[in-house]
Amino acid sequence: MTALTARVLVGLFVASIGFAAGDEFGDEGLSDVARTAARFDYLLHCSGCHLPDGTGAPPEVPSLRGPMGAIVATPEGRDYIARVPEVAQAPLGDDALARVLNWVLLEFNGETLPKSFRLLDAAEVGVARVKVLADPLRAREAIVGRYADDAD
Amino acid sequence: MMKAGAQMHGQGLLARMLDAAAHKSTTGLAERTSRRGFLGRVGVLLVGTGALPLLPVARSFGGEAPTEVEAADDAPAVTALREFGDPQSCDYWRYCALGGSLCACCGGSASACPPGAEPSPITWVGTCRNPADGKQYLISYNDCCGKAFCPRCFCHRTEGAKPVYFPSKSNNVLWCFGVESNAYHCTVSAVLGEAPDEEASGDTAEATATQ
Repeated sequence: MTALTARVLVGLFVASIGFAAGDEFGDEGLSDVARTAARFDYLLHCSGCHLPDGTGAPPEVPSLRGPMGAIVATPEGRDYIARVPEVAQAPLGDDALARVLNWVLLEFNGETLPKSFRLLDAAEVGVARVKVLADPLRAREAIVGRYADDAD
Repeated sequence: MMKAGAQMHGQGLLARMLDAAAHKSTTGLAERTSRRGFLGRVGVLLVGTGALPLLPVARSFGGEAPTEVEAADDAPAVTALREFGDPQSCDYWRYCALGGSLCACCGGSASACPPGAEPSPITWVGTCRNPADGKQYLISYNDCCGKAFCPRCFCHRTEGAKPVYFPSKSNNVLWCFGVESNAYHCTVSAVLGEAPDEEASGDTAEATATQ
């Protein structure tokens, strides 16, 4: 094998890693079927308060557009979003809950998601949701600080 | 006799005093005012009262149309929704978990608040089966707020609704949040979208919960 061939191979390998990583949370992050099902679950269980477009009614109902991307940048943040009481206690199985959380992250927070974000899986959501937060506002503050509205 | 006579005399005195006072005030009025001036003022009052509504005054919800509760922008197409039943009856398909008064009986419609009432953006969502096509649809039970309770057409159906200890699925909660006034007027049932085919059988909330 010549040095040139080796370099080309290494180059291709690196490029393919980059491609796969880029793919991870693109539109391909969830299948069409999963997206449709997640959207239905979102409308049925979340949209009553957070509204169909995720904007909510701040400060009582926080917006799901934007800030969640920064929250899931840390392991505590990934845990946190499944431990918020109305999420943890939603009448959904771990699979469906992970699916709807991923959908909200990809659909409403695509621009703020960290590059390294990987989809939540049912197992980690299942472990996190049993530790329901008694004081979600304080927990959130420890992860990403206060809500913008509170800081004013 | 004496007593009656004295009484009559007393009455006569009172009558004379009233007479004198009335005479004095009417002649005084006649001296001070002109009859034409009086007629003129009455005329202005009559015409003015009639013309007052023509002024560009903001009249509360006089010309307002009922406020339609909006579905999601990207909601699955429900424009071709086949309808069945009477929206002024509790049996209407969209009301399968409605607890409250029907806005359709109070000047609104199945999905629009009556004039002057503000739809609460915060609500709860369930599903109902449309008997016209057999499909399940997502229904948003928005309360209309800011006016006194409308007591017409009170309904209480509970398909898929949960007790208040599960507030996000309870029709016993008054959902007048995020609005100017928390006074409950009536409830509408807006169709948010169609349930995906896989979810379309049975009670979708239960089916999803047991996945």
